[in-house]
Amino acid sequence: MVKNTHEIRDAIHTFIQFDSHERKIIDSRPFQRLRHINQLALTNLVYPGATHKRFEHSLGVMHLADRIFGVVTLPEHVGPEVREVLPELSREDDLRYWRKVLRAAALCHDLGHLPFSHAGEKEGLLPKGWTHENLTVEFIRSQEMREIWEALTPPLRPDDIAKLAVGAKEGAKIIDSEFTDWQAILADIIVGDAFGADRMDYLLRDSHHIGVAYGKFDHYRLIDTLRILRPPPTKSGGQSHEPTLGIEEGGLHSIEALLLARYAMFSQVYFHRVRRIYDIHLRDFLKEWLCNGQFSTAIEDLFKLTDVEVTQALRQASLENGKLGALADRIIRRQHFKAIYERNPDDIKVNPDAALAIYTAASEEFGAENVRKDQDRKGGGDSDFPVLSRDGSIISSLTLSQILENIPEAAIDYVFVEPRYRDNATKWLEKNRRDIIESAKEEVSESTE
Amino acid sequence: MSQLNRLQRNAIVLSLAGELRAAESWCGETHLQKAVYLLQELTEVPLGFDFILYKHGPFSFDLRDALIAMRADYQLRHLIHPIPYGPSLVATDTGKKLQERFSSVIGKYRKQVTFVAKQLGSKSVTELERIGTALYVQRENEPMTVDQNARRVNELKPHVSLDLAKAAAEQVDEMVAAHGSSD
Repeated sequence: MVKNTHEIRDAIHTFIQFDSHERKIIDSRPFQRLRHINQLALTNLVYPGATHKRFEHSLGVMHLADRIFGVVTLPEHVGPEVREVLPELSREDDLRYWRKVLRAAALCHDLGHLPFSHAGEKEGLLPKGWTHENLTVEFIRSQEMREIWEALTPPLRPDDIAKLAVGAKEGAKIIDSEFTDWQAILADIIVGDAFGADRMDYLLRDSHHIGVAYGKFDHYRLIDTLRILRPPPTKSGGQSHEPTLGIEEGGLHSIEALLLARYAMFSQVYFHRVRRIYDIHLRDFLKEWLCNGQFSTAIEDLFKLTDVEVTQALRQASLENGKLGALADRIIRRQHFKAIYERNPDDIKVNPDAALAIYTAASEEFGAENVRKDQDRKGGGDSDFPVLSRDGSIISSLTLSQILENIPEAAIDYVFVEPRYRDNATKWLEKNRRDIIESAKEEVSESTE
Repeated sequence: MSQLNRLQRNAIVLSLAGELRAAESWCGETHLQKAVYLLQELTEVPLGFDFILYKHGPFSFDLRDALIAMRADYQLRHLIHPIPYGPSLVATDTGKKLQERFSSVIGKYRKQVTFVAKQLGSKSVTELERIGTALYVQRENEPMTVDQNARRVNELKPHVSLDLAKAAAEQVDEMVAAHGSSD
């Protein structure tokens, strides 16, 4: 007898189960390509254990998204006001259809990642207006995947899958259709800022492989307490009818732990200064190595290019002289630029663009080719969400939790210099730092950034 | 018209938050999202945020990211209220200094900021959702009658009754007229 359910052993979730249709997704060329895309780009040059791939992460996201869907759609977990706004919750056929769409979307949410994931998609490496989300949608709409969607009963609409896979932030630009309240909730289950399965899986998986404890949190308890809720009221009157993902009061400590884990992982791992400069060096290399300095957006070309091929190109270039070899050596021979400045609150309060001012001055002093900057901001992830209290009322999470109120946003500003300038640049900065930072004036004219 | 740069834009958003609160708005994120939408789309202040129709009406993920960055850069903070209410967003001392530094750009758009704060300051979140959605629908489908607008709002947000949608569409028309006469 042919088996219809299958399972894969997983380092985080022990076993991940799927059916024969989902197996076709997993066995497809776009999904198998993810076996060769590192989840954390070149992080393994800092944390050697970080060699896990988008392949197993995508399986994990399907597993968690399905569990969240099961919990939040349980009839006893849905209040009458939410059911009125989301009639899909009362229709068995709809629930069956959308659960399949959700699982497929969770599997496919990272299909469009370029080699080395996010590191490879900034600074003009893709044509203007393109992101990995566009490529994900291209894969989902491709003929190879359409055949899988059409073979299901009922067939899955590719754009339903695409919407949930990329979420509203990018999806609204790519897919020419509005997100209904129901679709917005389902997209949040996968890629949502606060409770998304994507975030839960990457925190658990990354911390496991890197070997750090602070990315872990009690995701079992967290998922069991998730609910679809109306937002909390505001004192000026009115309470929105449009529901969103929230939590039962008993799960508050679990979400605190998740958001603290996220802050710690960004501060210690994702924003690690050496990891960040390797991303910059990789982009410098790709701009020189790729044809026309950009990735192709043709699906067939993407099959030919994964971390494997780029790593081989780096290793080969490092054996040769010339510009490409020098760019490769920054990674292969670890000749990376060194940080001379990183953000601190005192500077930011004087000049919000302190790092930019230092970068500009350092570029003038040491030559633009010898200086790099990096800036990023990541929120604690929507720490303001509805909480279902024990007496049945809806309360803002921030009024219940001082921890949520005080989790800082993770943020970096770095300025790096070529290694041979490090000592001089450090002394130069010590001498000029205050003047550079305090020189900011109001920009009177309008300008485009 | 060229777009404002990041810090100029932050200064305008902080100024809007201040004026909304002065007009007795709760000024949570939903209030600020709708007010910035009106400021950008109706009064044409070149903020450069991308808005989509999403939960609670027009919504900008760019603006959300900007608010996160402003909190990270100590310009904006949550003001926590007693249970069960959601937080308000208020400028910090650093945010107030930023407004002083960009006082000329704030001066240039003060009339528009004041107009929006006056129009929306007293509205509840449910009113803001309806008005924001009606304005979004109108701008995506101009020209459009009040009845056509109301029907589309009701289609997009079935929990908004036709009567309430029609009232929102009429309010949008009044705001457009008021803005036109204030030029």
